[in-house]
Amino acid sequence: MSRTGPRTKKLNRREYLKTTAAAGVAWLAPTIIPASALGRGGTVAPSERIVLGGIGIGSRGTFDLNWMLPEKDVQFVAICDARKVRREAVKALVDKRYGNTDCKMYPEIREFLTERPDIDAVLIATGDRWHAEATILAMRAGKDVYSEKPSCMTIAEGRAVVETARHYGRIYQTGTQRLSEGPFVSAIELARTGRLGQVQTVRAHIAPWDAAEMSHDWLPEEPEPLKDVVDWDAWLGPCPWRPYNSTYVRGGWRGHYDFHTSCIGEWGAHTFIQSQAGIDALNTSGVEYHYVKNATGDGMVVKFGNGVQMVLSRGDQYWHGSCGMRFEGSEGWVSVADGYPKPEVSSTELLEDGEKLLADYLERTERPMNHVRNFFDCVKSREVAVANPDVMHHGMSTVHCANICMWLKRDLKYDPVKEEFVNDPEANRLRTRAQREPWII
Amino acid sequence: MRTSVLGLVCLAGLLYAVPSLTRGQESKPSDQNQEAKLIAVLQSDAPRKAKADACRLLAQVGTKKSVAPLAALLADEKLAHMARYALEPIPDPAVDDALRDALGKVKGRSLVGVIGSLGVRRDTKAVGPIAALLKDSDPEVVQAAARALGSIGSPPAAEALERAWDATPLAKKIPIAEGLFRCADCLTSHGQRDRAVAICDRLIKEPTPFQVREGATRKARLLRQEQAKGL
Repeated sequence: MSRTGPRTKKLNRREYLKTTAAAGVAWLAPTIIPASALGRGGTVAPSERIVLGGIGIGSRGTFDLNWMLPEKDVQFVAICDARKVRREAVKALVDKRYGNTDCKMYPEIREFLTERPDIDAVLIATGDRWHAEATILAMRAGKDVYSEKPSCMTIAEGRAVVETARHYGRIYQTGTQRLSEGPFVSAIELARTGRLGQVQTVRAHIAPWDAAEMSHDWLPEEPEPLKDVVDWDAWLGPCPWRPYNSTYVRGGWRGHYDFHTSCIGEWGAHTFIQSQAGIDALNTSGVEYHYVKNATGDGMVVKFGNGVQMVLSRGDQYWHGSCGMRFEGSEGWVSVADGYPKPEVSSTELLEDGEKLLADYLERTERPMNHVRNFFDCVKSREVAVANPDVMHHGMSTVHCANICMWLKRDLKYDPVKEEFVNDPEANRLRTRAQREPWII
Repeated sequence: MRTSVLGLVCLAGLLYAVPSLTRGQESKPSDQNQEAKLIAVLQSDAPRKAKADACRLLAQVGTKKSVAPLAALLADEKLAHMARYALEPIPDPAVDDALRDALGKVKGRSLVGVIGSLGVRRDTKAVGPIAALLKDSDPEVVQAAARALGSIGSPPAAEALERAWDATPLAKKIPIAEGLFRCADCLTSHGQRDRAVAICDRLIKEPTPFQVREGATRKARLLRQEQAKGL
C-alpha cells in the first residue's frame, strides 16, 4: 500500500509499472505483468493493497485470518510464530487460498519485522503474554496492528501501547469485534443516548470456565524441543522463565499468572469495553472495585466516576450466550449476547428505537459493521479505529483493577487520570511486572 | 484532561514509574516476618522455583532489607530477571544504588535487564553511565540504554540521545528515536514544551524512518497548537 516518505519509492515503482504498461510499452515485460497487478479482473491494484503479516496465529488467529483473507485489498504474505507447526499450518492455509507457495515463514519476531519492510500491517493473535509486546515491536517497525484481546498483561503495558501508537503514528485495533456488530451497537446506543432513562447498572459477562485466582505452579519439566520446532525462550517472551512443558504451548497457559489475565480478562476484555461504551466511559476506567469472596469475581461491583455501577456476572441469567451484557435504566433495559439477531428489551418500542439508533450510528460514523474491515479502512484513511489504543487501555485497566482486587482480596479505589490506586502502595506495585531480558519494551 | 494525561506519560510510555509513587511505604509486621523468610530462601540452597517464588512475593512486600540479597542475584543468569522483578517496585533508593553498582559488573542479557530497570526507576544518577553505553558494541545494550535514557527523561538524558541520533545511521535510528520520544513526553509533562518541540523537529529532519517522521510531525503540531493556545 502506498505510504509517505521512504515508502513513496515503493508507490512510485508500482505506479511506474502501471504507467508503462498502460502506455503500451509491452516490450518491457508483457508476460510478467498480470492483470491483477494492474487492478483488473476484479482485483485491487498493488498500490492499493494492504500487505499483511501475522504474528502468533493459532485457533483464534486462524478465525481472524479467515475473516481477513477474503478482503480483496488485503494480501497476506508472511507468518511469524515461535512454533513450527503453526507456521506451517498458516502457510498451508494462505498458499491454498492464493493458489501459490508465496507465504514466507519466520520463527523470530525481530528478524521478521526487520526483514519485511514491505508489510503494512500485522495480525497479532498470540496468547495474552505477547499481545502488547508484539504490538509495540511491530508499531516501532512501522506496522499498523490488529491485536487479539486481552491486549495487555498489565496497566503499564496498556499505557505503553497507547504511547507507542502515538509516537509512531500507527493505526491499532483491538479485537473487540462486538463493537462492530449490529445487535451490540444497538444496545450500546440505547443506553448511551438515554433511551433507557438514567442507566444505573450494567452487567458484564466474565468467562464461566476460569477463575480469577491464578496459578504460580510450574508444570513438570519436559525435554525442550529443538529451537526450530518450539523456540521456548521466545514463546515465554517477557514472562519469567520456567521449564518447558508442552501443555503450555498447546493452550494450557491459561490459568497461569505469568501468561493469562484470568476469567475476568478472558471475556471482560470484550464486555467491559462494550459496557463502558454504553455509559460513555470509554475514556476512563472504573474507580471503585468491591471484593466478592469467591474464586471468580462473580458479582463484583465496579463503580465509575459518573455513578454507574458495572456488575461482573459469570452466569447467563441476564442473557443467553457468550460475552453478554445488560444495561438497566430508569425507563427500561436491554440485553444482548452472541447469537442474538436483535437485542432483548423491556418493551417493543425500545426494539424499534434500537433499530433506528443503529441506522443513525451507521450514517453518522460511515463505518461498516465489520471489525476487521473497519481496521483496514482506517489503515488506508489513517483515521482512528473504533477499538483504538485508548479504548483498549481504559477497558483493560478496568480488567486489571478487577483482577488486582481479587488477588488482594479487598476493596480498591483507582484514579483513572493518574492511573494509580488511591493511597494504596500495595496495589500500585501490581500495576506492572518487570519484563525478562531481552524482551524489555 | 490533557494536562493530566501528559502528566502520566512518563509513567506510561515508560512502563514503570511505580516506585516513585510508592516511596515511603511502611511495611506491616506480618509483611516483615514474611520478608525475612523470603530472604532466607534466597540465601539458601533452595531450588530455582522456590527462589523465583520468593522474588515474586518480595516484589509485593520487599523493603530495603531485601535489596542486598536480591542484588546479589543480578549476576546469576538464572535468577537475574526475578531479582529485578522483585527490586523494581521496592520503594527505596537503595535499589537504585544497587542497580547502578551492577552496571559495571554484569554482562550480556543481565546488563540489558539492569539498564532497563534503572530506566523504569527513572534514576537520574544513572544518566552518565548509561549514556556511555550508547556506544557499546552490543546492539541490545545500546537499545536498552536508549530506552532507559528516554524513560529517565531529564535534559542531560535528552542531550545524550540527541548526540547519538546525529551519529547513528538511518537503519539503526529507531531505538534512539524511541528514547527521544520518551524524553519529549517527559519534558512536556514537566513544562518544557519548547525543548520537546525541538526534539520532535530533530526527529522529523531527513534522513529519518517514515514512522518516526509521522509520529514526530503529529506531536510537534500538537505541541505548537498547545503553545499557541497558551496551555
